[in-house]
Amino acid sequence: MKNRSQKSIAFTLLVFVTLFTVVSCKRDLDDLEPATFPTTAEVFIDGFSAGLNYGAFGGSKVTAFDVDTEEKYKGSASMKFAVPDAGDPQGAYAGGAYFTSTARDLSGYDALTFWAKASKAATIDVIGFGNDFGESKYLTVLNGVAVNTNWQKFIIPIPDPSKLTQERGMFFYSEGPEDGLGYTFWIDEVTFEKLGTIAHPRAAILLGQDQVIGAETGQQLPIGGLTATFNLPTGVDQTVSAAPSYFTFTSSDPSVASVSSLGVVTMVDAGTATITAKLGDQDAAGSLTVTSTGQAMGPQGPAPTPTASPDSVISMFCNAYNNVPIDTWNTGWQFSTAELMEIQIAGDDVKRYRNLNFVGIEFASQTINASAMTHFHLDIWTPDATALPAAFKVLLVDFGANGVFDGGDDSSHELSFTSPLLQTGQWVSIDVPLSNFTGLTNRAHLAQLVLSGDLPNVYVDNVYFYKSGGGTTTGPTVAAPTPTRNPADVISIFSDNYTNVAGTDFNPNWGQATAVSQVPVAGNNTLLYSGLNYQGTQLGSNLDASSMTHLHLDVWTNNSSALSVFLISPGPIEAPSVLTVPTSGWASVDIPLSSFSPVDLANIIQFKFDGNGDIYLDNIYFYKSSGGGTAPTTAAPTPSFNSANVISVFSDAYTNVAGSDLNPNWGQATVVTQEPVAGNNTLVYTGLNYQGLQLGSNQNVSGMTTLHLDFWTANSTALKVFLISPGPIETPYTLTVPTSGWSSVDIPLTAFAPVDLTNIIQFKFEGDGKIYLDNILFHN
Amino acid sequence: MKLKNLLLTASTISFALFFVFAGCQNDDNAIVKRNWQLVWEDDFNGNTGQSPDAARWIYDIGVGPGNDGWGNSELQYYTDAPENVSLDGAGNLAITARSESFGGRSFTSSRIKTKGLFQQAYGRFEARMKMPWGPGIWPAFWMLGSNIDEVQWPQCGEIDIMEYRGQQPNLVYGTLHGPGYSGGASITKGYGFENDRFDKDFHLFAVEWGEGYIDFFVDETLYQRLTPKDVPGEWVYDQPFYMILNVAVGGNYVGFPTPQTPFPQTMLVDYVKVYKEAN
Repeated sequence: MKNRSQKSIAFTLLVFVTLFTVVSCKRDLDDLEPATFPTTAEVFIDGFSAGLNYGAFGGSKVTAFDVDTEEKYKGSASMKFAVPDAGDPQGAYAGGAYFTSTARDLSGYDALTFWAKASKAATIDVIGFGNDFGESKYLTVLNGVAVNTNWQKFIIPIPDPSKLTQERGMFFYSEGPEDGLGYTFWIDEVTFEKLGTIAHPRAAILLGQDQVIGAETGQQLPIGGLTATFNLPTGVDQTVSAAPSYFTFTSSDPSVASVSSLGVVTMVDAGTATITAKLGDQDAAGSLTVTSTGQAMGPQGPAPTPTASPDSVISMFCNAYNNVPIDTWNTGWQFSTAELMEIQIAGDDVKRYRNLNFVGIEFASQTINASAMTHFHLDIWTPDATALPAAFKVLLVDFGANGVFDGGDDSSHELSFTSPLLQTGQWVSIDVPLSNFTGLTNRAHLAQLVLSGDLPNVYVDNVYFYKSGGGTTTGPTVAAPTPTRNPADVISIFSDNYTNVAGTDFNPNWGQATAVSQVPVAGNNTLLYSGLNYQGTQLGSNLDASSMTHLHLDVWTNNSSALSVFLISPGPIEAPSVLTVPTSGWASVDIPLSSFSPVDLANIIQFKFDGNGDIYLDNIYFYKSSGGGTAPTTAAPTPSFNSANVISVFSDAYTNVAGSDLNPNWGQATVVTQEPVAGNNTLVYTGLNYQGLQLGSNQNVSGMTTLHLDFWTANSTALKVFLISPGPIETPYTLTVPTSGWSSVDIPLTAFAPVDLTNIIQFKFEGDGKIYLDNILFHN
Repeated sequence: MKLKNLLLTASTISFALFFVFAGCQNDDNAIVKRNWQLVWEDDFNGNTGQSPDAARWIYDIGVGPGNDGWGNSELQYYTDAPENVSLDGAGNLAITARSESFGGRSFTSSRIKTKGLFQQAYGRFEARMKMPWGPGIWPAFWMLGSNIDEVQWPQCGEIDIMEYRGQQPNLVYGTLHGPGYSGGASITKGYGFENDRFDKDFHLFAVEWGEGYIDFFVDETLYQRLTPKDVPGEWVYDQPFYMILNVAVGGNYVGFPTPQTPFPQTMLVDYVKVYKEAN
């Protein structure tokens, strides 16, 4: 037999050689018979069939297989398999394949059959055929073969016998210990058969599911879940895993997605294509519909570089910081379809998630203690639609004191982010106070971060916890200055020194990222905005501040680069006032309410702060400057106009028009004095009703453009300045009072029309209160 | 229960003794050439979903008059719904067993009969059918004596032209039940394929019945001839019988369906024809 089969191989080779030769000669080939292979059905009856070899699988216990003449189903011998115990140093499992050196033609059979029993009831992991230690093109696997102590016949249907014209893989098996324990099973009478009693072939790809997924050009998607199901002679269905080569795959649009004979789909171009398959004549259940948007859409530039101080950061993933160890950025949890790719954008490392439904990010081996942190930050970029209701969700999980999952001490919270925070095609910073994760009652053993939502494609960068105002920032060490205003002149919003408006909400949810808290500073309650982007204050009731003159607040920040305060009346009508930041210690700011025009001061409903950084605030109140006021403590700013372009009336910085009378007797009540303020001579009108100024000579200022003056008043509620030419022709200009410190105004001379600018003879001030004036001059 | 088990065992043994495989014909059962004339037929031509012809068939509905699964502990509830019995539009009657809760049962199916519409003594009764499959599926083409309401079963006689168990898709059985030889003691014989099954394609099941004999056929192969001397009781087959087609689920004869039994399961009937021997 052996000699004969070798001969037939030689003959076969000869035929092939002949065949190739004659093709080029275009001779008629019809007379040539196709090569044939032996149709031997027997694999193991009482010993190895002709040409059968055995090879153990790598890592298996190579001595697991033996021929047993004691225990057998029929005849004189069976195959015995001794499955090792767990931890057997000779190998962890029993496994191997029986293959022939000469291929066999098995196309006339419809099943591999064998008898099996075991030393105990057990489930053998896999038994099959088609494993030739090579391409194993027609691998066919029966998974989970339940055996017991009785001999039973097993049938492995051949998915498509017509394919098996040259098969070398006759039989294979693989089985590990059951519950850590080894055992023995026997297999006998292994043979291919033409049963005829196998019926109702059904095939499936993707386990019969109709999958719909997105992909991008160049992406390769192997189609798995290939099965063939037959009804056995017992009326029961048997499903085997079948190699792709049994199937014929078809793409509905090969210009969008091509599919190889091995069922690997390659995305060619944008569009939608559906991949289906046949097993022989049978349409396989299941399909893959894949839609490609073409080339991958990704960010053109890196995420913004974080600015938090490294001292106050626990970073999970950021090139700007040292990162803590993370077990995995994709736990591959069941039902998660997320794929992770590590990419770089302009040299910056970025995590790219594709097909993201949810992804687990785990750091359980070394949990993160974020107790001292105030915020969680990550930057994301998505090409996907972000219009409502699309959401991106961030779940933080703390494993509790036991540091392991469950145990009753876990806590977690998920936040959902939507448009307008979410944006398509641009980096978005998700920067949230940890206090917003209200269900996360502990954060000393953070172990998981789970990202999910409606965005299948998300690029992630700069994932870190930080302490706002952290690093070198420690906040004020002294309390804000204690206000001295008479409580009768004050409507207080936030101060320990006054009765505050009742019912004010200092942290209404306007979608802000700011964390609001109230902290004691040297024993004084202080309002803290950490990580300000914007922050509202909802007054407990509508507030009439029309009788007030100023808004006062004390502010402290060492890391803010922009800060504005807004008053808001219904409409909403809102107006900002820019504050100078960062401050050097506590800054007391007194803002004339007139600067919030057009806000309705009789009906103030809200405050708003806009800017960045960490802001300490105190003593927020409206007040009415009472009569008498106080004097400026600093000199008026020294003007810096070129003296060649100046006609000065009252200034230490220039030569003044000679001979002017600062206090002509026009019947006024005003007391006029000149006082030094911080060493600088200043004109003071006390108890102003009106006050004239007679120039020493008529002045032609038509070559000038602007009237400049510096004024300071704590208690004036009205102030106008007039220019006067002969006639008299006079025109007023209203000045904003009271002032917050020195006010410098530059008034276009056109504002004084129809005054004759070639012939200015007098100035006049009208109003009330005590007014400090300096640097009254024309300039060009 | 014990009695029933015993009976089942006895009948199993008799199958083992008596069933024959195709190609092993008994020379004693030579087919006598007869001149059959068609007297009744239903070719089940019609539109998909159409109910069987009311002039030819009536329904057995429910779980049996004794509320006992038609005397066999069958598990199905028989309905007349098109989902259980209707034409398939391709020239066949489809009787479909479904796994669905109805009428207190876990399965539905259908059973139709010619009782009161057509009955005949003697002749050739045949049906061309394709079987369902799966453990616990029990289709049948059979006849009962028309006097069943007067004399009760088994005195009326029962001729099972074809019975089949879904867990043995290569075997069918022909059986007589009569007084003194009913249930597990019935006179029966199996016919089997060695390399084929009755659910892969249509096959013709028939009896040829005359005075003193009943011959059982599969695809024109005679595999059993029963005569009065073969039955241990009265020969009650000289009176009119009516025909029944049904698909039972579970029951004493077939056993329970298993989680591996695929549902729904459909028996297709291409045609039923009845002949009388021409003189």
